[in-house]
Parts: sequence; structure tokens; C-alpha cells
Amino acid sequence: MNEPALAEAIRAWAAQRRVDRAHLERWLKLDERSAAALLEAARALRLRVGQLHEALTMLDEIALVEGETVGAVLARPALKRILEGAGSAPARARVFVQALRATRFPRLARALERVKAEVAALRLPRTVTVVLPRDLASDELRIEIRARSAAELGESIAALERSARGLERIVGMLGGEGSEPDEL
Amino acid sequence: MSFELDEIVIEEGCRASVLAARVSSRAAHGVSIRYVVDGREAARPAAGAADPFGAGKRRMVVMRRRAPFLMACPAGAADFACCGYLVLVLASNCPMDCSYCFLQEYLADNPGLQVYANYADAFDELERMRRRAGGRSLRVGTGELADSLAFDRMTGIARDLVEYFAARDGLTLELKTKTDEIDNLLAVDPRGRTLVSWTLSPQRVFALAEHRTAPPAARLAAAHRVLDAGYRLGFHLDPVIAYPEAERDYLALLDELFDTIAPARISFVSLGGLRMTPALRAAARRRHPRDPLLCGEEVLAPDGRYRTFTPLRVGLLRALERRIAAANPAITRYLCMEPPSIHRRVLGRAPTPVAALGAQLATVGTAGAER
Repeated sequence: MNEPALAEAIRAWAAQRRVDRAHLERWLKLDERSAAALLEAARALRLRVGQLHEALTMLDEIALVEGETVGAVLARPALKRILEGAGSAPARARVFVQALRATRFPRLARALERVKAEVAALRLPRTVTVVLPRDLASDELRIEIRARSAAELGESIAALERSARGLERIVGMLGGEGSEPDEL
Repeated sequence: MSFELDEIVIEEGCRASVLAARVSSRAAHGVSIRYVVDGREAARPAAGAADPFGAGKRRMVVMRRRAPFLMACPAGAADFACCGYLVLVLASNCPMDCSYCFLQEYLADNPGLQVYANYADAFDELERMRRRAGGRSLRVGTGELADSLAFDRMTGIARDLVEYFAARDGLTLELKTKTDEIDNLLAVDPRGRTLVSWTLSPQRVFALAEHRTAPPAARLAAAHRVLDAGYRLGFHLDPVIAYPEAERDYLALLDELFDTIAPARISFVSLGGLRMTPALRAAARRRHPRDPLLCGEEVLAPDGRYRTFTPLRVGLLRALERRIAAANPAITRYLCMEPPSIHRRVLGRAPTPVAALGAQLATVGTAGAER
């Protein structure tokens, strides 16, 4: 596809999905290979407008931080597998955005994985939910208990008491304990 | 250091002022000077400019300040533990251009580089405040909406300020800067009542984000010189930016600081993580699209600002805090714009109440410096 044809194809896709002007302009400002690769991804995954906005922003920032082009980022094996893989387009679109987030926020992804593993290891009953702060943006841990009887409530509280040490460790992790910044 | 200006605009009512005379006589050759009735108009964003904020930095407006000179620090909020800093607004905007600077949002509608010709009126406000304080020590700084020293070669205001504070018990002046523009300070005896503070950043942050500032080594060399001249010293590691090698670089910076300045001679070190409102982040990304430091692992925090996600931010601040404490546990340390829970995690204690910390920062180090 030559450059004018590519721009026209991007504009057509953007109009159909109601991509806002600022994002469309950013897309069109990408180098030709990157712009084409993003169009291919958008078509293959049938990205919704919100997903396209998020993906474009993250791709742009990954490319800047890592000194690559958006096209080179999209050509990475991990993303290529999603783009070319089996499964429904919406499901792959979700995985694609998640994979971009993990690339854009690598230390956050690792920290979240560690904390979630600690939570899972507590093996709390289904009536107890440990709610982590979104994106680990604060150091506050919330615990929710759902109970429909005194017995159920008692069991949940007892499970929490048994897990007190582990929960304390998780609260500590939210506040940066247990790993040095360079280890994240 | 010398900062280029495109033009100087002087309000008619200030034409005969001392400041206008100084600025006019010290302006670089070729800088145009024009006179206007109302300087506020000249301070507004230039119509049609591709970067109105950047253009504002190159247009000095000498004008009368209509609002009070003294204000509470804009960083203060009920959610944060504060340091009791009082801001004396003698100028607005800064010729340097740090990619993360909050002025990009704060002064977006008012970016002209204003310098206030009636700055002597600020002394009356200070006097009234001092009387109301009833003997409490207060720390007043000029470096919140402007760099305290960037244009001092032209304005000569710092000297007037240092002399005013030198004669007043209970008041400490903090001149906050990223320059090495200290020559005017060396000519006057602060009598221990002026503290010069430098924002310090590793070389990488300086090179990528702190445009037109003095290099870190030059800031430290300037700090050494003002210390010898009787000034107290403070340092701000703020913003701490959590890029992948940040811990190594900031610790090396602290080592360089303590190699240059004996830790016992440092009055305080403040720490603060990078934080940006969504509007600031958008403005910063628009104005500095090639700065990778603006694309770190910041997430939307409960206070509505983008901040480095908590475990990483706290871990980094704690590592710096430990290094400072190891150099000298007596150095006063505090965090800027962080909630009490983060203070406890980083400093291992609840934040000092604002009035007490304010008084402490106003007086710490005076014993060695007062003459």
C-alpha cells in the first residue's frame, strides 16, 4: 500500500470506529511501516475505539522509552503471536492490550504478579476477597467479607485470623517491603 | 548562566522603578524594550505561538503585583504532610524548562516571565506576618513559582532580600534554584538567616529533562561556595524519577553530594516522587514529546495525580532516605506531597506536624552559620 492509500485506509477505519481527531493525527504521524502495522493489528483484532486509543498511546510510549519504532514493537514475537493467533478477535484484543500494558509497565506487572501470588497462596475462602489497589497506586489493602449467616461470617473471620501473617506481608509489599527497587 | 530573552515589557507605572532601571541597563544587546499600560496583558499567552508557555519564558514583564506577595505553598493540601513553607511571590515563571515542571499547568494562562517592580511592598507583608507569628520561626521562600536566582544578575533582588532577612530574627529566607547564579549572594553577609537550596538530579535527568539548568556538578560547586560565604544549605531530591537505573544514579548523586558538602553542614534534604496531574502530564508530553522520563511507570493515584506505583516509589525513596541517614542521622529529612502513611513507610515515623517542621526547617543549621 502506498502512503496516500495507507492514510486513506487509516482514515476510513478511524471514521468507522469514531477515533478522535487527536489519536488519528498521532496515528498518521507514525512512520509508514508503524502506521501500517497498527492498521493491520486494529483490523485483525477488531479493536474497539477505547482499545485503539489505549494501544496507540502505549505503543508510542514504549517506542519512545525503548528507542524503537511502533512497527518494531508490534513485530515482537509475543505480540505477533497474539495478532496471528487463534481465538475470537475480542478475546485476542483484550490479551493484546494486556500484553502492551505489561510491556509499558514491566516493573508494575512483576510487582502485581508477586502480590497476586501471595494472595493466592493464602487460599482464603470464596467469601473473603482481598482487593488490591488498582495499579498498586496506593498502599491500602481492602478486605471484603460476604456472609449470609453467623456461621459463614465466623468461618471467614477465622480464615482471616489464620492468614494474618500473610496479609501483613501483603500490606508490607504494597508499601515497597520485601523487594529492592532494582529487583522489580 | 545567561538566559536569552526575546523582549522586555515594562508597565508604564513601573517605568521609574529601581527594578525597571536595573533590568533595562543589564539587558543583553539587541533585546527590545517596550512599555505597556497593563503588564498583565503582556503576561498572557502569545496568540498564534506554537508553544505559548515556552514563548512566555522569553518575555520578561516588569510590572506591579496586584495580589499579596505572601501565599501558602501551592503544594500543600489536607491529604499531605506539609513542611510549612511560605511562598513569597516576587516573580512568576522561569527561564529554564524542566519537562516535568508543574508551572506548565499552573501558569498556562499566564506564562509571561513576570518580575514585580513593587517587591519592596513584600517587606511590609513580611513584617506584619512576623508580628503575628509571636516569636515562632518561619521559613519563607521565593522559589516556588520562579527560580530564586535565575535572573538575579539582571534584577539584583536576592541581595535586597538577604539584607532584609539578615536583620530579622524569626525569619529564614530560602532561595531555591537550579542555577549556579550566586555571585550577588557572595557580596552580602546573610548572618545565618538565608538558606540556599538546590534541587538535585542525576546526570541522566539533567540531560534529558532539565533544559537550560546548571549541570549537577555546577550546582554542588555553587553550594560549596555559598556555604563558605555563611549561607545555610538545603537540598531537594524532588522529583525523584523512577527510571530503571534510578536507584543506582540517585545513590551516586547522594554520594557526590556528601563528598562535596560535609553532611553535618547540610540543614535538610527533602524527597519527593514525580507527580503530575493529568493536565500537567498532557502538557508536558505535548511540549517534550521526546523525553522518555515522562513515560515511566506512573499510574493514576488516589489523589488524582500520576505517580510511580507505590511499592516502587516507596522502595526508591526509602533507599535514598537510608543513604542520607547513614551519612548523618541528624540531617532533617522530609517528604513533599506524600500522605502520612508514606511518611511512616519511608521515614519510619509519623510526619512531624506542619508548624513544628516549619519551625525546625527555619532554624536548623543556624548554630553553625549565625555570626
